[in-house]
Amino acid sequence: MSYFFQLMVSGIVVGSIYALSALGFVLIYKSSRVLNIAHGQIIAGGAFIVFALTVWVGIPIVLSFLASLVITFFLAMSVERIFLRRLIGEPIISVIMVTIGLMSILDGVIYLTPFGSMNYSFPEFLPTTPLSLGGVSISWTQLVGVVITAILIGAFSWFFKSATLGISMRAVSDDQLASMSVGISVPRVFGLAWALAGLSAAGAGAIIGNITGLNYETLRAFGIAVFPVVILGGLDSIIGAVVAGIIMGLIQQFAAGYVDGNWGLNGTADVLPYVILLVILLFKPHGLFGTHEIERV
Amino acid sequence: MSANRWFATGNFYTTYREEQRIFVTHLDRLFFSLLLIGLFAWPLLVPTSNRNMLVINNILIAVVAVYGLNLVTGFAGLISIGHAAFVGIGAYTLAGTAGAIGESHVLITHAWPLMILASGCMGAAFGAFVGLPAMRLKHLYLAIATLSFQMIFSWTINFMTFFNQGQMIPVGRVFWINGPVGRNEHYLFWYYVILVTAVACGLGVRNLLRTRYGRCLVAVRDNDRAADAMGMHPGLTKVYAFALAGFFAGIAGALHTYMFRGAGFESFTLHHSIIYLAMAIVGGLGTLPGSLLGPVAIQILELQMEHLSEWAGALLPANMNLATAMRPLGFGLVIVLFLMFEPRGIANWWRICRTYLKLWPFRY
Repeated sequence: MSYFFQLMVSGIVVGSIYALSALGFVLIYKSSRVLNIAHGQIIAGGAFIVFALTVWVGIPIVLSFLASLVITFFLAMSVERIFLRRLIGEPIISVIMVTIGLMSILDGVIYLTPFGSMNYSFPEFLPTTPLSLGGVSISWTQLVGVVITAILIGAFSWFFKSATLGISMRAVSDDQLASMSVGISVPRVFGLAWALAGLSAAGAGAIIGNITGLNYETLRAFGIAVFPVVILGGLDSIIGAVVAGIIMGLIQQFAAGYVDGNWGLNGTADVLPYVILLVILLFKPHGLFGTHEIERV
Repeated sequence: MSANRWFATGNFYTTYREEQRIFVTHLDRLFFSLLLIGLFAWPLLVPTSNRNMLVINNILIAVVAVYGLNLVTGFAGLISIGHAAFVGIGAYTLAGTAGAIGESHVLITHAWPLMILASGCMGAAFGAFVGLPAMRLKHLYLAIATLSFQMIFSWTINFMTFFNQGQMIPVGRVFWINGPVGRNEHYLFWYYVILVTAVACGLGVRNLLRTRYGRCLVAVRDNDRAADAMGMHPGLTKVYAFALAGFFAGIAGALHTYMFRGAGFESFTLHHSIIYLAMAIVGGLGTLPGSLLGPVAIQILELQMEHLSEWAGALLPANMNLATAMRPLGFGLVIVLFLMFEPRGIANWWRICRTYLKLWPFRY
């Protein structure tokens, strides 16, 4: 039974990282209907900035974490400004392809840095002995990760609920024309959505990097792994991203714990989310919390 | 139509039939025939090393695959981020059969045209299956469905012992009329096979687009509600577009397996899907010449990039890792720049030249 709880705890840890990664993705989709395929690269970039600031520049890790959030905030904003602003009004197909191109460019840029080929890990700043609660152990890095995720998600939900900018972002995602007529600058909101997505991606990247170490392939894979999460939760639902992230983390851990090694199956945790994705697309395409648009097909 | 069918200085169509002709003027037909003759004759006149032949064969295989991608993404307007997986389905249909019945089984070595067709049909079946969400959904979701198909495909190949866990599965040498195709003629033989396939597929696509089934794709892309009102079934049309894409991809995959004498996992990754997309975009989405020009342009770009990174790699410190960085950087820049400044691709330059020449010397 403690094996079950152990899997559940690690599932929740992985799931909360998924939730944070998916959050940024949903933000961009919700405000501007753009599918950001380059999300994994931004996640990796955020993690690498933390490492570079901490180890190469020598700033305390907490400060460099915050600095990384700020830097990625502006980086993502400038990505929107340079590449996507001029595509407003173009067919959605070319916008998606621009993000595919962007993914390739960011790949190239990261391969230019040492991070593309080397593995690093953050300096230890937490106790290494894991916490033990009734036979279930959880390491400090995981615990801190979950706590930071919870704080960030809480901050985001406050922002969308109460801050004027957050409310104007919700308004734009609801009706662009109407929000323009009450004086909201829609392009600015798009930029802000990208910036916030960059911020949450950097947070997710730093947490993943702290738990698994800084390997570019692992970090980048989270960009693709958010797709099953956002489809399960509904592409345009923030609460859906959080709930589905945790569900997906649990599913993966249980699959890895109970299915692998039996019936000649291995590595099921890598494939199961995508199978679920296809099934959901066939039967419940708007996910758990997504808006039921009136489909025209 | 005017009497001069060699130099038409404008459009003189009086019936729809005339507008749908494959070759508008005799000049077009002449050009096309000369191009074909040139393509078939040059290997006999110019001796080419196996290495260059391999590059050329690769381009032609990519042309066949991009026909499919162009049908689904260009003509039907559905983004497919998993095209390499469909190519892989074709390749592994052949390689899996070879693994199951032995690599030199008579079915593999003698009945290879049949195997290529069967791989195409398998690709079509998988394409239709992945396209099934199209019955209810729009392209955004379809892009995600194809992406997840790519991931599932990679996992299946990498973890199933039947597929040798992604390691190379060998396929035997094929037979032609005068016995087995030897090591020296291998690439030349497959050049001709692939060339014939590519030309046949090209003519097939061109003719398909003249029929109601081809126009149906374009109609659904432009406005699916209007297409629905005119009696087409948008959902079925999209599934059918995916099946067509899978068919061409499957054929390309089988050719790839035969040419490399085996199939391995590393040729069918997400990265390759993106390269196919880059080819389709650079060539020009929704144009037939684009399917030819795109692969050529990207392959040339790739070769140049290799030279450049070799040259620059000598100047820079070794840990800069330039060779791995140049490829994604170059592809990404090419995709983004084309989308931002020439969304209609290289085929558009070709079109501009033609329109210019059509009215020359009487310009507006």
